[in-house]
Amino acid sequence: MEKIKLNETPVRTSRNFRINNIKLENIWIPEEIKEFKNIKILNENSKLEIIDKTSDINLTYGLNEIFTKQVENSANNNTQLIVNSKTNKETQIEFNFDELSDVLVEDIEIVANEDTKATIIIKYNSSNNIKAFHNGIIRTKAKPGSNINIIIVNLLNNNSDNFIAIQNVLEENAKVNYSIIDFGGKHSITNYYSNLIGEKSENNLNSIYLGSEEQIFDLNYIGELRGVQSNIKIEVQGALKDYAKKHFKGTIDFKKGCKKAKGYENEACMLLSDTAKSLALPMLLCSEEDVEGNHSSSAGKIGAKELFYIMSRGFKFKEAMKLLVRAKFNKILKNIQNEELRQTILKEIDKKI
Amino acid sequence: MKSQVEEINRNIYDIKNKDEYDFKVKKGLTPEIIEEISKQKNDLEWMREFRLKALETYNKLELPTWGPDLSELNMEEIATYVKPKTKLNNSWEDVPEEIKETFDKLGIPEAEKTSLAGVGAQYDSEVVYHSMKEELIKQGVIYTDMETALKSYPELVKKHFMKCVPVSDHKFVALHGAVWSGGSFVYVPKGVKVDIPLQSYFRLNSPESGQFEHTLIIVDEGASLHFIEGCSAPKYNKVNLHAGCVELYVKDGAYLRYSTIENWSKNMLNLNTKKAIVGKNAKMEWVSGSFGSKISMLYPMSILNGEGSKTEFTGISFAGKGQNLDNGFKVIHNAKNTSSVVNAKSISKNGGTCTYRSLVRINENAQNSKSSVSCESLMLDDISKSDTIPVNEIQTDEVEFSHEAKIGKISDKAIFYLMSRGLSEEDAKAMIVRGFANPIAKELPIEYAVEMNNLINLELEGAIG
Repeated sequence: MEKIKLNETPVRTSRNFRINNIKLENIWIPEEIKEFKNIKILNENSKLEIIDKTSDINLTYGLNEIFTKQVENSANNNTQLIVNSKTNKETQIEFNFDELSDVLVEDIEIVANEDTKATIIIKYNSSNNIKAFHNGIIRTKAKPGSNINIIIVNLLNNNSDNFIAIQNVLEENAKVNYSIIDFGGKHSITNYYSNLIGEKSENNLNSIYLGSEEQIFDLNYIGELRGVQSNIKIEVQGALKDYAKKHFKGTIDFKKGCKKAKGYENEACMLLSDTAKSLALPMLLCSEEDVEGNHSSSAGKIGAKELFYIMSRGFKFKEAMKLLVRAKFNKILKNIQNEELRQTILKEIDKKI
Repeated sequence: MKSQVEEINRNIYDIKNKDEYDFKVKKGLTPEIIEEISKQKNDLEWMREFRLKALETYNKLELPTWGPDLSELNMEEIATYVKPKTKLNNSWEDVPEEIKETFDKLGIPEAEKTSLAGVGAQYDSEVVYHSMKEELIKQGVIYTDMETALKSYPELVKKHFMKCVPVSDHKFVALHGAVWSGGSFVYVPKGVKVDIPLQSYFRLNSPESGQFEHTLIIVDEGASLHFIEGCSAPKYNKVNLHAGCVELYVKDGAYLRYSTIENWSKNMLNLNTKKAIVGKNAKMEWVSGSFGSKISMLYPMSILNGEGSKTEFTGISFAGKGQNLDNGFKVIHNAKNTSSVVNAKSISKNGGTCTYRSLVRINENAQNSKSSVSCESLMLDDISKSDTIPVNEIQTDEVEFSHEAKIGKISDKAIFYLMSRGLSEEDAKAMIVRGFANPIAKELPIEYAVEMNNLINLELEGAIG
């Protein structure tokens, strides 16, 4: 099978740097897509209007044409979520992959009406022995004054493939807080794009990844600032063990006219083995003078001093490592209000390490 | 209020001499043209074959699919070899009057007297002057033009020529391999410390032509050297091309500082390649000021092959109207205990574009390596552009790697403070810009720091206020 290229960066750099896109070989892209049955919606009385029909998909980036077309033509789940509540209510959608429901091709559209609030959790689980395929598009339209928290939790097994394209459009004074917990999948490929068109719109993206065995993560996060005083903050914390690989491509693009806009991006990668690999491209693109842009990126192993200190308190090496990874991730996990979900994620961290 | 000045008077840099030459090859790039260059230069057979193979590689490779648009470059319109009307001279008195006057105005003979241990001057495709202080000759230091080096030290040159930068690296290196001419060769023997810098100055006078000088420097074990490269050209309406190649071998325990003040005219495409191979416990420092060129694609590279080797890059780019300066730095950590420090700055104004593009690769075998990268970009108006595109590839866990970048305008608070101390807004801004560039200026010998500050002042005229 020929290689497919996906998740192109918005701006190319030298091909020798091997980061403009990811090339995947022998990827199973199912042609026949059966019904996906195991969908669970928790807290349905959260005043969220749920409709099984979405509007036309019109992605600026996306993963590539093949994946976008598959969702357009053959999705087995189309869900539109309309937010009407003026108070923050939580809704959780769970997709549980098993032998019968092993392929999910979906389009989720979230429309947050003016001055509304909501927390939406979308969780992907799989039983251990299957090879699941997930190709999803999640689009959010945040209308003026809306305030939305979206949490994506990928807990698929390491045989599965996870492909997600996210697109957010933020109007004036809209706020979208996105959290992505990215643990599962042999390949976990995410394209995240936020278009901050509105004045004083604000997007916070907090993401953690945890790679083990031969997992490959390709994270392409793009924020385009257009609105005056718009603001984006991208915080990524990750850890890689065994032969896991991560490609992080983060772009903050200050478009002309986004005066007084601010962009911040930080990516930190903990390398837990000498065979794990980290590749990062934190980009700042700027066509506007009156802005503030910062990015930072770091990689290295867990501090020997910290490990020594914890171990001197009686913890074994693995326990000490777990504690330190948890502590790093906590920066992001503390934003998740749902205690049960937070505990599930912490358990998963312990299991993987 | 922003005042716009169409074209800044680059005074001395824009002096145009009459396009006089002894020989100018036909425009274009064919095997016949390569043969003609080879004949004019009395190449040895291996070099003639090398050039023809490089041309084949050039024809096979494609233009970069990234970075600035190079579509206006038409090799059919470029003469790749222009032999000036003089031979190589060892005394300024023997250099023809008009060429000498240009170098006089650029301050080269004066600098030689006051602050340099040796000088090379290239005019179009050939070196017209080369000289070095007697005491260095006695210590066995070789500083000569590449053509002389090929004849006088054939084995040493052949062993190193285009081995650090192979012709397959990219299209313009292949072009360089085919048409290279001029440049400097330096060899510093084991343990010899050259305390005063050597400088080569490259001047391109002929319109619609290219300059493809080759610089090859070998700093042997425990030796040290500071080498300065300066370049300029007058402005013409059509495109000129510079595709030089710099190969640096810093052997075990050696030290090399390579400083560049690049001030090509704003019709120049500067597609230069510079690479250093750094040995055990050796140190390679790059200091780079990039002011000129219409388009620049320049990413010096250090390959840290020796255990405990170090590299530092300190660079500034200043892009004004019509300029697209895509510069940066690459480092490969390829041995244990290596370290790299990068400090890059850029200033964009009057619609200019600055891009910092880089690579830090820490290989699996580079345990206990450290890398720290910092880049800062200053935007002086809202019609300019500034991008930061760094790639960081970490292949082992025993590393300390950090990268940080900032982008923004001159702080209003800082302007307010300086104005409260009696400075005009224009002077306050100019002072802040000079302060921004100061970490680079202070790495240069004083004469060059002054030249850099003058260039900044020239560039700032009318840009802010």
